[in-house]
Amino acid sequence: MMERWLLITRIALRNLRRQLRRSSLTASAMVLGIGFLMFIRALEGGAHLMYVETATRMGTGHIAMEHPDYMGSQDLMDRIAASDLKRAHQAVEETARPEELVAAFPQVNVGGLAQSASSSIPVRISGVDPELEGDVSFFADKMVEGRYLEPGDRLEAIVGVAVAERLRLELGSRLVLMAAGAGGELESQLVLVTGLFRTGVPEVDRGVVQLPITTAREWLELEDDATSMSVILASDERTGQIAAAVRDRLEESGVGTDRIAVRPWWEAMPDLYAGLRADAVQTYVMLVILLGIVALAVVNSILMAVLNRTREFGVMRALGLNRLSVGAMVMVEGVILTLASGLAGMLLGLAVSLGLFRDGVDISWLFGGDLAFAGAIVEPVISPAILTVDVVAILSIVMAIGILATLYPAWHATRIEPAEAMKTDE
Amino acid sequence: MTSKRNEPASSPAVETHELWKTFGEGETAVHAVENVSVTIGSGEFVALCGPSGSGKTTLVNLIGGLTDPTRGQVLVDGRDVGAMSERQRAQLRLDRIGFVFQAYNLLPVLTALENAEFPLMLRGVHRDERREEVSKLFKHIGLGGLEDRRPGTLSGGQQQRVAVARAVLGAPALILADEPTANLDTQASDALLEVMEILNQERGVTFIFCTHDPRVMRRARRIIRLVDGHVERDAEKESGNLPSWVLEPVET
Ligand SMILES: Nc1ncnc2c1ncn2[C@@H]1O[C@H](COP(=O)(O)OP(=O)(O)OP(=O)(O)O)[C@@H](O)[C@H]1O
Ligand SMILES: [Mg+2]
Repeated sequence: MMERWLLITRIALRNLRRQLRRSSLTASAMVLGIGFLMFIRALEGGAHLMYVETATRMGTGHIAMEHPDYMGSQDLMDRIAASDLKRAHQAVEETARPEELVAAFPQVNVGGLAQSASSSIPVRISGVDPELEGDVSFFADKMVEGRYLEPGDRLEAIVGVAVAERLRLELGSRLVLMAAGAGGELESQLVLVTGLFRTGVPEVDRGVVQLPITTAREWLELEDDATSMSVILASDERTGQIAAAVRDRLEESGVGTDRIAVRPWWEAMPDLYAGLRADAVQTYVMLVILLGIVALAVVNSILMAVLNRTREFGVMRALGLNRLSVGAMVMVEGVILTLASGLAGMLLGLAVSLGLFRDGVDISWLFGGDLAFAGAIVEPVISPAILTVDVVAILSIVMAIGILATLYPAWHATRIEPAEAMKTDE
Repeated sequence: MTSKRNEPASSPAVETHELWKTFGEGETAVHAVENVSVTIGSGEFVALCGPSGSGKTTLVNLIGGLTDPTRGQVLVDGRDVGAMSERQRAQLRLDRIGFVFQAYNLLPVLTALENAEFPLMLRGVHRDERREEVSKLFKHIGLGGLEDRRPGTLSGGQQQRVAVARAVLGAPALILADEPTANLDTQASDALLEVMEILNQERGVTFIFCTHDPRVMRRARRIIRLVDGHVERDAEKESGNLPSWVLEPVET
């Protein structure tokens, strides 16, 4: 059996070499196609990493912990008690390795009204801890006027540029925030504008106000409770694992999923995740279509090779090679051709992505003005990122296409009748 | 070198019973082989002759199971070829039958040695054993030193000898050769025939070859003449003689 496969592979390889010109024409089409798509996917992957990075740093974190009902109700009733908050923090510290954990911080998020001397608008109010969050907050990087919150701030608040515009606010302006407190009564809080931010996400710039969490807790009568606990990780690789481990650890310490829901960012921000998915699916559809076209070249190339060798197949059959082995020989030929060019294409894609464009690609021309994607930010320069899933997926697609494209020529080869084949002079 | 001839000849090498092969239908039907019943014993050296289009190639292909009969039976070693599956037939060819064709016999991508060892590889014979057998035979039939040459760089006669070596190396009971000398000059033909005769005598291999070539027929010890698909004459003879009927024109 071994010897038979050795023979089949040897003949397949030699035949590929014999038709080097035609093989390499087909191969180079594949190499370029796959290389190009690999690069596109790497750019997309890089952009996605960036979206995730910014989205998580806008407060959600890689892992978001909330009362299970809060996502739907947005009601302060559905909050995390101070004692549970402490356990959650402990669970995170016990689960993530120190080098993996960048920050873990509570937030108080509530919908309310912002009222200035001139008018009022609905806003999302976040009580944040400047000490814990200051170094990682996306907002801290996006201040266009004034400053971000600092430890020790009391009545200071930062607002989006569009909020400021609509309420005619300037640095130092007074602003009254109104929201339902823990007791269910409408409570108001006076704050002073100390900074304006522009994130590039329209909904955020025209609808977010941040103030110190201590002030928010007092105002809303929350004591040491919070609506959420966010965890920022150094990389997204183990987010799912860590989230699951934190969930288990909390469960062990008596805080069940009825009190705290531990969600990785893709569950906490389903819209962003769906957007990224749709984006990737689109690219893969393109990949399959492009490779489908290349597959036609493979079909053509292998079929021609089979037709040109009709007599040889006849001879081999006469020598005692059965139909199945003849088909296998053609399959091996086609699969080696596609696999080799697939790998070469991926190497090309890697080289272009990580070599040529290592420092990033400026894509601002693609977007015109607005650099937002499903609530996340697009920086104008994207660093390509090659993800393992993509490598595996592309390789599998290449394999599948190689096999599919070779099936017909292989079937054709098995149909060759030795007596007829012997009549041809090819 | 096991001699098949010494085994008890329980069944003949080849038997055909009322064998027909018809191409086409109705008005345009051609009976390429018409009611042929022959028995060829183990170790025979048989020439199939007859005018062009008389059905020689078709008959040989039927015997080798390369094409299916329209009617009738082919037995090789007493086994009914028609009753076999495709896989079994391939195995039968691998184990019992060697083929030599007129030309373009060899696989161009393989060296002479690799071509010759093809059937041995299919049977899973170990590399060292294969190589030893091939080089022994190559020396024996004047191919020594040509092991690593591609067919394209060999002369026609050398190529045909590689093809015969390949047919023989499987230690088959039967070698079917379709005009093996048609593309060869006198000297190369003689060399090839000598090799075939040696293998016939030393190993008891049965040879059936189609030919137009009087030199080939002269060496045969039995000549079967086909005309229009049926057996017109079938006679044993001494090696070296050539009966006059062999080349007679067909009476119309
Ligand atoms: N596939 C086919 N389809 C139709 N007719 C065929 C086919 N193969 C052979 N024939 C016909 O069958 C007859 C016998 O052909 P065959 O090739 O066996 O003759 P042959 O004796 O080998 O001739 P030659 O000496 O020229 O090689 C011829 O009339 C030929 O035209
Ligand atoms: Mg013929």
